[in-house]
Amino acid sequence: MTNRSSLRFMLLILSATFAFLYIPISVLFALSFNASGLPTAWTGFSTHWYGELIANSDIIGAALNTLIVAIVSTLAATLLGTLLAIGVEIRRRKGRVLETVIFAPMIIPDIVLAIALLSFFSMLDFRMGLHTIIISHTVFNLAFVCAVVRARLKSFDWSIVEASTDLGATPPITLRRVILPVLTPAVVAGALLAFTLSIDEFIIAYFTAGSGRDSITLPMQIFSMIRFGVTPEINALAVLVMTLSVVALAISQRLNRGRLPGQ
Amino acid sequence: MTDRKPVYLMTPALAWLTAFMVVPCLLILALAFFRRGIYGGIVYEFTLSNIALVFDPLYARIFLKSAGIAGLAATIAVVIGYAAAYAIASMPRKRQPILLFFAVLPFWSNYLVRTYAWIVLLNREGLIVSLARAVGFDGDLPQMLYTETAVVIGLVYNYLPFVILACYAPLSRLNPEIHEASRDLGASEWTTFRRVTLPMTVPGIATGFVFVFVLSIGNFVTPALLGGGQFQMIGNLIYDQFLTANDWPFGAALSMFLIAIMMGLLTLQTFASEKASGQQRAEVSDD
Amino acid sequence: MTSTLLSLANIEKRFGELRAVNGVSLDIRENEFFALLGASGSGKTTLLRMLAGFDMPSSGHILLDGHDISQVPPNHRPVNLMFQSYALFPHMTVAQNIAYGLEMEKLPRTEINERVDEMLSTIQLTHLAERKPEQLSGGQRQRVALGRALVKRPRLLLLDEPLGALDKKLRGEMQLELKHIQNTFGITFIVVTHDQEEALVMADRIAILKDGELLQCGSPHEIYEYPVNRFAADFIGVMNFLPARVDSGALRAVNGSRIAAPLPADLKPGDNALAAVRPERLRLGVADADNCLNGRISAMAYHGLDLHLHLETPVSPHPVMVRLTADAAEGHPFSVGEEVSVGWSARDTRVFTA
Repeated sequence: MTNRSSLRFMLLILSATFAFLYIPISVLFALSFNASGLPTAWTGFSTHWYGELIANSDIIGAALNTLIVAIVSTLAATLLGTLLAIGVEIRRRKGRVLETVIFAPMIIPDIVLAIALLSFFSMLDFRMGLHTIIISHTVFNLAFVCAVVRARLKSFDWSIVEASTDLGATPPITLRRVILPVLTPAVVAGALLAFTLSIDEFIIAYFTAGSGRDSITLPMQIFSMIRFGVTPEINALAVLVMTLSVVALAISQRLNRGRLPGQ
Repeated sequence: MTDRKPVYLMTPALAWLTAFMVVPCLLILALAFFRRGIYGGIVYEFTLSNIALVFDPLYARIFLKSAGIAGLAATIAVVIGYAAAYAIASMPRKRQPILLFFAVLPFWSNYLVRTYAWIVLLNREGLIVSLARAVGFDGDLPQMLYTETAVVIGLVYNYLPFVILACYAPLSRLNPEIHEASRDLGASEWTTFRRVTLPMTVPGIATGFVFVFVLSIGNFVTPALLGGGQFQMIGNLIYDQFLTANDWPFGAALSMFLIAIMMGLLTLQTFASEKASGQQRAEVSDD
Repeated sequence: MTSTLLSLANIEKRFGELRAVNGVSLDIRENEFFALLGASGSGKTTLLRMLAGFDMPSSGHILLDGHDISQVPPNHRPVNLMFQSYALFPHMTVAQNIAYGLEMEKLPRTEINERVDEMLSTIQLTHLAERKPEQLSGGQRQRVALGRALVKRPRLLLLDEPLGALDKKLRGEMQLELKHIQNTFGITFIVVTHDQEEALVMADRIAILKDGELLQCGSPHEIYEYPVNRFAADFIGVMNFLPARVDSGALRAVNGSRIAAPLPADLKPGDNALAAVRPERLRLGVADADNCLNGRISAMAYHGLDLHLHLETPVSPHPVMVRLTADAAEGHPFSVGEEVSVGWSARDTRVFTA
């Protein structure tokens, strides 16, 4: 399959693709350390814009909101999603409706879920704020946690559950001592994925945040900064946000792929 | 395990999904058939006028335009993504996971940030213009930001990693002996690709295309940021109905159409993968 | 040794329309090594799962020491199962795997540790006690699975295809080791297997299952030498079947020649029958043989210890298999196409209803 000239061609394709993927990101990265903050000229290395960032109370507030939303919705989604995954995989019969409901949050266009939730909350006269963002994020987060855990369960040797019963354990003991420990890496990976999705999520948060300034999340803040006047500190913010989600994801990948017993 | 246990494990999550996804979506479905009040708001009176309005030439044109842009973005993304996935799959086995990891990594960074990066590049005082000036180009440069092209670039850029992932999956599962068998039977490299590799990897291509298309047609961030509000796509139209025009029933009707398009495409995609996997199964049972 | 430990009384298991196990009755004795032998779909695994408690019989009773345990859940039965996949807990060490069942009995920690150590030395894995299952070889995993079940000192140990995942050489060693361990512990073993050789080598008694029904139950010798019908005969070892007809007290092959054999009482003149003889019972030459047969060699296979000949004969549509020991074949340079005569005695012939 790989004679010399075709290998060279493949390497060319790869280099071009990686250049396309990484040049824009790298430019942001470089700019965030450019003293002038402008793409027109390099005026020297500086962490000035990162300093500006920390001094900006709007951004710090938004970042805190994002953390609250991400942490709470991740915890809720991890609990609900893991139990859901176990429940679904234990069942021998798979229902089409059930599969659709579980799959839907991952494929419904964000904008549709966003307006649906907005209509729902406002028709119930639900006061909107951080809590409604958390509720909404839990919807898609639990679907993703469930998907990750189910993927692990597919290669799960169910006979160890029977073995546990055979050795005298009751179902709750089996859940606690056998099923959950074996699933832990996948559960953590799912939780980190959910966390990443939540800190990056913009549209649904934007629609379900209500009108108060105190429920603005970081992506919402970034959106308005991009839209209404670009300031150089956004480069620094972009780099920080990007780094955070990439780190969370890298850990998640590692947990999910590295040394999983029984795989 | 008794059959009762799975139910109580699933109940909390299913209750959550029902309350905060199924019911709101049904609500939107119902909303599409109510009348809009004169000062906004909803009058609970059955009507088909919102559905009819979707087919009004003014809005139908926006639908077609969105579909056109989404289709273009999806096509470009699939061509680049398939080539990249094919290249990764032809690298030594040990290197493939790391290459794939770096191909997908950008996908997990913030969508807004990735889109913003293109503003920096395409801006009138942006990097590309600065570079052109730096190498001594003094002529008029065409407007790059706030054009359709910019929107398509943004969509391709954002969703390319997923297409690579989707195309890589079936490519990496291909048995290299099938490729060798085709060569052994006298087919050229190109014929082998066209008659063997490509048909067997259709599911990945279909998944990638549908994914990019669906996410693009309903997108409103990219048109808003890179299109600069120069033109509307369905996503922006829905956004406007809810947040500025205050015509919720019409916004709901538009959403229903978006969902309908998406479901139609997903059905096609399922069909494509089932057909292709059927072929593969037949090949397995033949040997 | 002769007292009955386990009694299956008319066990039936239906899955919807399918009768997976159909009216099986069996008695298994204390301290016996018992094999349930059958092809896939014979119901042997379903039967095993009912003994372990993972499935409940649709009707019938399972008596252990005289108590009906049919409805007792698996975690309350003094019966343990060694799983086909071994089902070791991947997140626990070897020692933790073995201790698990004892912890479920809420034994004091010191006793648990003692019994785990004792078991580790029995299965010769003391040096690997802190390893995880994924760091063990197939044979070592199998021993952990065995130790984990045995350490609970069950009344009855069930083994589901215990040697299925091992390679051929290791399987031979483990067959002997399993028998040895069973002897040492004095626990009744029931092995489920599809491998007839495994059953013949290890078991004191074998039950053959087919389509959910019990075909025959007996010692390996009985099963091999005195199969009760053509299915049992066909299932174990290789058997030559010669179609025949009962003709006024004698058996005649399709070409009219007489087959000398003990006739079962239920065969009446005019009935179709099958005469059966094992390949190793056929001898070269026909001197003082009750039966003889001429045939042409259609194929030969040399196996080292013995030589297999396939004969085309007038008495059967299928080639007749002859297994000659190396001694018997000595000095005969056979070749394909050659005509040979073979004979066998009447008492080596079994006759079945066709």
